[in-house]
Amino acid sequence: MTTIDASSGGVGAHAGEHHGASYLHRKGGFMVTVWDWATTIDHKKIGVMYMFATTFMFFLGGMFALMVRLELFTPTMTNDAGQIVGQLFANDVYNRMFTLHGVIMVFLFIIPAIPAAFGNFLLPIMLGAKDVAFPRLNLMSWYIYLFGATLAVVALIGGGVDTGWTFYTPYSITGTAMHQQVFLVTLAAFILGFSSIFTGLNFVVTVHKLRAPGMGWFDMPLFVWAIYATSLIQVLATPVLGITVLLLAIEQAFHIGIFDPALGGDPVLYQHFFWFYSHPAVYIMILPGMGIMSELVTVHARKRIFGYKAIAFSSLGIAAVSFIVWGHHLFTAQTAMANAIFSALTFFVAIPSAIKVFNWVATLYKSSIAFTTPMLYALGFMFTFTIGGVTGLFLATIATDINLHDTYFVVAHFHYVMMGGAGIALFGGMHHWWPKMFGKMYNERAGILGFFFVFVGFNTTFFIQFLMGSQGMPRRYATYIPEFEIYHQISTVGSWLLLIGFLIHLANFTHSLLKGPKAPRNPWGGLTLEWTTDSPPIEHNFHHEPVIHHGPYDYDDVVPPFCDEKDFPLPAPLKPGAAKH
Amino acid sequence: MNALNHIASTLAANPMASNADLNLLERLMLSARSSDYAATHDMVYMVIFWLSVAFFVVVMGPYAYFIVKYRRKPGVPAQRSVSHNTPLELAWSIFPLMLLCVLFFLGFEVFIDGQVAPADAETINVHAKKWNWSLGYDNGALPKSEDYVNLVGTSVPVFAIPAGKPIRLVLESEDVIHSFYVPNFRKKIDVFPNRYTTMWFQAGNAGERHYVFCAEYCGDQHSQMAAMLDTLSPEDYDKWKTDHVLNPKDMFPADYGAFLYKQQGCNACHTVDRAKSAGTGPPWWGIWGRTENIEGGGQITVDENYVRESIYTPAAKIVQGFPNQMNSFQGLIDPEGISAIFAYMQTLSDEGQAKYEKDKAAWEAAKKAAEEAKAAQN
Repeated sequence: MTTIDASSGGVGAHAGEHHGASYLHRKGGFMVTVWDWATTIDHKKIGVMYMFATTFMFFLGGMFALMVRLELFTPTMTNDAGQIVGQLFANDVYNRMFTLHGVIMVFLFIIPAIPAAFGNFLLPIMLGAKDVAFPRLNLMSWYIYLFGATLAVVALIGGGVDTGWTFYTPYSITGTAMHQQVFLVTLAAFILGFSSIFTGLNFVVTVHKLRAPGMGWFDMPLFVWAIYATSLIQVLATPVLGITVLLLAIEQAFHIGIFDPALGGDPVLYQHFFWFYSHPAVYIMILPGMGIMSELVTVHARKRIFGYKAIAFSSLGIAAVSFIVWGHHLFTAQTAMANAIFSALTFFVAIPSAIKVFNWVATLYKSSIAFTTPMLYALGFMFTFTIGGVTGLFLATIATDINLHDTYFVVAHFHYVMMGGAGIALFGGMHHWWPKMFGKMYNERAGILGFFFVFVGFNTTFFIQFLMGSQGMPRRYATYIPEFEIYHQISTVGSWLLLIGFLIHLANFTHSLLKGPKAPRNPWGGLTLEWTTDSPPIEHNFHHEPVIHHGPYDYDDVVPPFCDEKDFPLPAPLKPGAAKH
Repeated sequence: MNALNHIASTLAANPMASNADLNLLERLMLSARSSDYAATHDMVYMVIFWLSVAFFVVVMGPYAYFIVKYRRKPGVPAQRSVSHNTPLELAWSIFPLMLLCVLFFLGFEVFIDGQVAPADAETINVHAKKWNWSLGYDNGALPKSEDYVNLVGTSVPVFAIPAGKPIRLVLESEDVIHSFYVPNFRKKIDVFPNRYTTMWFQAGNAGERHYVFCAEYCGDQHSQMAAMLDTLSPEDYDKWKTDHVLNPKDMFPADYGAFLYKQQGCNACHTVDRAKSAGTGPPWWGIWGRTENIEGGGQITVDENYVRESIYTPAAKIVQGFPNQMNSFQGLIDPEGISAIFAYMQTLSDEGQAKYEKDKAAWEAAKKAAEEAKAAQN
């Protein structure tokens, strides 16, 4: 049984020891602190800034979602007097709101949230490094994100873009004056793409070059594997988004027919380009969430992960398959032959995703499950993600997709995967690493209460949408036939529960920042390297360079650093001669 | 409400197709099942549903059991167990893969079978535009003004289709991408501005009415771009078609204008109710002779010249507060139709309504007298 050298923190005075203060330590007055953060190349500060920015975007995008749900509380109808009633917002306002919701949530929240916020903060620490490979490039990514996000929000709100986050041609490039704003928004997506590519590149190099001595590829935490697979997709897929935006610009500037049928272009070509990026982007969104899951389940169930290599390779498998399934977004638009090919390929994505779920459930076997807020989120993830996964089968099967395409069934499915998967994992991860990031504990009871509101609210909002979707309720509808009223009302009530849950979390975290008790170094008993350093970590992460003597999930062999064996008892040692797992 | 909308329909309206004959579980998830293809589709749907339920139970069963059984007890460690088992891991990878292959072939088979229309299918052309559907029958039949029903805050046309006979639709769009979706037939196809797409179906029982929705986002009135299909017996269908061949010369001009208002889709943006409900374009109640402020300054009075200009070159003078959204109707509405729209607009006020009733009664009396004179001559 061994421990990590770095964990000795202050016991022995090794050569090269760092005595630095916490990375949150203020070096001077207000302006000095602002300047310090604005020019920092510390991956932790950059990660925290991303976290606040993406959280802000989440609440902004969420506000539009609530307004969308509010409008759908009652259908628009013609009453006996011939007047039109039941309309809270005019159609064009509604269309702008769902566009704002989609663009903000996809491009400004969920794509950057886990990789840029948690990836930045945790990846170098989990690898035992002082920082990412290119700290200045990292700061540049942050400013590019900030610039792109500002441009996107200003263009969206100011210009009133109403195309949906997919910007399908020819609707997005013809007609009214406001569609010129579409170009600004796609330009913002182009700029955000660079931020994404730079961050991905940075992480790939960091994983390859900056692992601590003794850390082989299969000693890396699975969160790192997930971020690594995500980064590969970011580097390889995001350029296609840039190409698409350039083609849009060339068409507009030189009137060369590419996507616009009026000029001889083909609008379906745009859909191919768009989904060639955006389908892999779906995995940019979910893979990091799966990475968080592997950490939460093992720490809070105090159990070695089941099938480490299967989980690691399934991340890479998902990344690879993600590039060849884009055509399943075009089942009602392309040839029958293309449909057959893409349907067959799509089914392959199901396998690595299912393997992960099986492994997490198997990890729970003979474990010791603590019902902390992060673990409740992890358990919640398995439930919602499984529903998101099996409903994907209806959409991969061509015959049933033809009926379900562009209905609320699709809306429910991707919310179960994105919000019920990536989102839920993110909230769990936030609770899990919060004490490490800010050195403060939050109120566990309030966290659990918030979780229940989010979990119940989420399922109330979205489960009912499967039913109305398969009954024929199309998506992106400002109003609907009265038959669907009760379904929409249940869904809207669910959205209010979600709001309550998030407000509880927000209050809990704010209270923690202001008045929370000091967090110990290792509150959950984790074995990965971030738990071996201070809470919050010092500026250079570790007092001295960590050396790896055990795997990230050896919970049955190692008492977690800074933990008492009384609180974290180990199972009886293996009998001599017994095979070790 | 405009008196024109209250003219009784010549055909008894069909009730909406109902899913009451489905079993309870199916009723929760599926709309009325109104074609043979829908029945085959639903078989596939239910196969996937039960597979999903089985998968969910297989995963969530142990999950729930483990959560209860292995909850943390103070001082009790987790137990040792293997963290890797190749046969088990291979089994849970390969077995689902085989099931997925079966699903793929099932979905592909049913989809491909549903793609090819029988050779004897009757072709109906579908024309889509922001924001209405029109079906073009081989004899030029069109829904009359009274064949429109109120739905989702607008009025939508009701078209006829025959029961038990294959219908092949050839679809095209005038502007952006739309998608023709009939939930009760479980069929949907995107409609493009640069190519024709096709779809076919064979409706089941006569006497049912089905929704048609637009399933591809197309702008402001996307959610109100709907239509209805009435399944009629083949004899009634033929009668409907003959009865709906329109001769404008037989119609009172204001009625012809009211017909064009709906048939050309003006109703998607312009309301005609007394309360001047909001729409994408200016409401038409009281529009004739009204003075409007124009974008970019200036005023106009709504008269023959302004209305004609607005129909043929809509972007020329936009009324303040409304978006520049309208397509030109050059080539779609002829001068006779334009005059009829003038006449219809003039009926949209209290005085106009009174005048309409009076003039129409006189026109009908004169027409009847002429017919009687003609009959007497013979």
